[in-house]
Amino acid sequence: MSSKEHTLVISPIGDLDAGGELLEHLGKELGKLFGYRTDIRPLIEEKDLWLDPVRKQYHSTPILETLAVISPPEAVKVLAITKVDLFIPILTHVYGEAQLGGKACILSTYRFNEEPSLAGRTEAFYCRLLKEAVHELGHTFNLRHCADSACAMHYCRSVKEVDRKSNQFCRYCTVLLSDEMKRLAKGK
Amino acid sequence: MSGAKILIVDDELIVRESLGGWLERDGHTVDKAASGEEALEKCEKNRYDILLLDIKMEGMSGLEVLKRVRENDPDVSVVMITAYGSIPSAIEAMKSGAYEYLLKPFDPDELMVLIEKIGKHQAERRETQFLREQYKERTRFENMIGQSRALQGVFDLIESVAPTDSTVLIKGETGTGKGLAARAIHTKSRRSQGPFVVVNCGAFPEHLLESELFGYQKGAFTDAKITKKGRLELAHGGTLFLDEVGEISTRMQIDLLRVLEDHIFYRVGGTQPIEADFRVIAATNKDLEKTIKQGTFREDLYYRLNVISFTMPPLREHKEDIPPLAEYFLHRFAQETNKLVDQISREALDEMMLYDWPGNVRELGNAVERAVVVGKDRRILPQDLPIFRPEYVSSPPGRTLREVEIAHLESVLNETQWNVSKSAEILGIDRSTLYDKIKRYDLRKPG
Repeated sequence: MSSKEHTLVISPIGDLDAGGELLEHLGKELGKLFGYRTDIRPLIEEKDLWLDPVRKQYHSTPILETLAVISPPEAVKVLAITKVDLFIPILTHVYGEAQLGGKACILSTYRFNEEPSLAGRTEAFYCRLLKEAVHELGHTFNLRHCADSACAMHYCRSVKEVDRKSNQFCRYCTVLLSDEMKRLAKGK
Repeated sequence: MSGAKILIVDDELIVRESLGGWLERDGHTVDKAASGEEALEKCEKNRYDILLLDIKMEGMSGLEVLKRVRENDPDVSVVMITAYGSIPSAIEAMKSGAYEYLLKPFDPDELMVLIEKIGKHQAERRETQFLREQYKERTRFENMIGQSRALQGVFDLIESVAPTDSTVLIKGETGTGKGLAARAIHTKSRRSQGPFVVVNCGAFPEHLLESELFGYQKGAFTDAKITKKGRLELAHGGTLFLDEVGEISTRMQIDLLRVLEDHIFYRVGGTQPIEADFRVIAATNKDLEKTIKQGTFREDLYYRLNVISFTMPPLREHKEDIPPLAEYFLHRFAQETNKLVDQISREALDEMMLYDWPGNVRELGNAVERAVVVGKDRRILPQDLPIFRPEYVSSPPGRTLREVEIAHLESVLNETQWNVSKSAEILGIDRSTLYDKIKRYDLRKPG
């Protein structure tokens, strides 16, 4: 893998409540955490292709498949961010979805405004965005949910739980992440 | 519950893939089947903790899969996945043993909570199983079986007596398991790696018992072509079990007393003193204190043997042990005889509980063995048990107990062509006791 490929692409889909500045911050933080260059680049313009008119939600799995196909060659991982509500057919909704050990993941901010209300608290919104971005990207590095409630890989059932966890990996997940990165670097 | 093995059974690829991915991200190992038939195949080859099973599928329905899977693996938890329209089927599935049902589409948190609940439930079930196994272990003590207070008391006593090197006298009626208790003491003692040598004192005439115990030197008597070690010598480093010690002649009692005092003896015809290190366990079905008064048993030997003593309870005093004992004998003899008999009917068990078992556990074992052999059914029925044969329980009125006993002894001996070992087994008594009765009643082989 050449260094050109070592890019983490952050791809907003549609308008985001988060302004460009927030995405810049996010890119910076993710870059520090994963050790890759980050690039903010919208890859999908027409999201309504995946809208289920009955459920009024977007099916996340085909979005991921499309992202994985159209991702630029230098992208080591692609993180899509959207404000629409996502689902997979068997579940009522998902907060995000990721290809386990794959290339793409997607994160929805739709439920970020559930109780407690953020009411213009940009910083809190940003914290949730960062934690869940780290979480979904973690899945693409083959990390699974973690029992440690402070670890970024902990599965949260509510935004309250998201607020309680950190944006860092626990010691155990850090080791697994480092193994996976080494494996990727060797091109296995 | 982290790390469960889950099988998703759904004929829709998209459901299998999306749910599978979601569960894998949660740390579970996921397998997928596109049909009921494929699910059954996978269940035969693998063990799953949870099955997420769609009710409505092409081909074999989820309900059918549920029934078949539960038959083969009652431990697997099956969660039915159902659409709003098929709730009645989901309720039917619950009646057939499904753990829960989820209405499509379901909240991811609901699934998460359910999987955690199943994990907890399965852990509890495993713990109960473990405790049950432990209880079974406690029910089975070495080769002894019993959960009654009476036998548990004996097991505790054996545990405390075994590590000491003291002489033990086990009292109890014939067939109560005195030999098994002696072996258990040996097995649990520091001598367990040494030999466990049994001497049935009632089985030998005096002169034979002497050479059996002490051994003999070549040329000691006409048939002594070679030097032979006696059982005392063979028991070196281990345990010497003197069964039916009350049957020993008064002369032999003197010799035995001497050996027990210093563990030094001479082979018959030998001049070299031999020293052997063994622990003595003796057993008797006789009231030795009574025989002391009658002058047939030496008091000093009695006290030498009676350092620690306990009594094996007769089976009629711990009838609650009859079901586990009968079940143990059933499986043992079914296996030995290669017969497909695996149950005891309630009626047969009731009859067993009503009977007093004068021959104790040995008689119960013989009765079950006979029932396994003669029974025509997969279950033991009352008529298969020897204790329920009309000729066994009824006797013509006006006969004395002695007459009834003689008649019964003769009938059993004739039935076995006077095979004493076999007859003793059927009667539930020792061979020596039978010999004693044959002699006492002057019974003779016909013809």
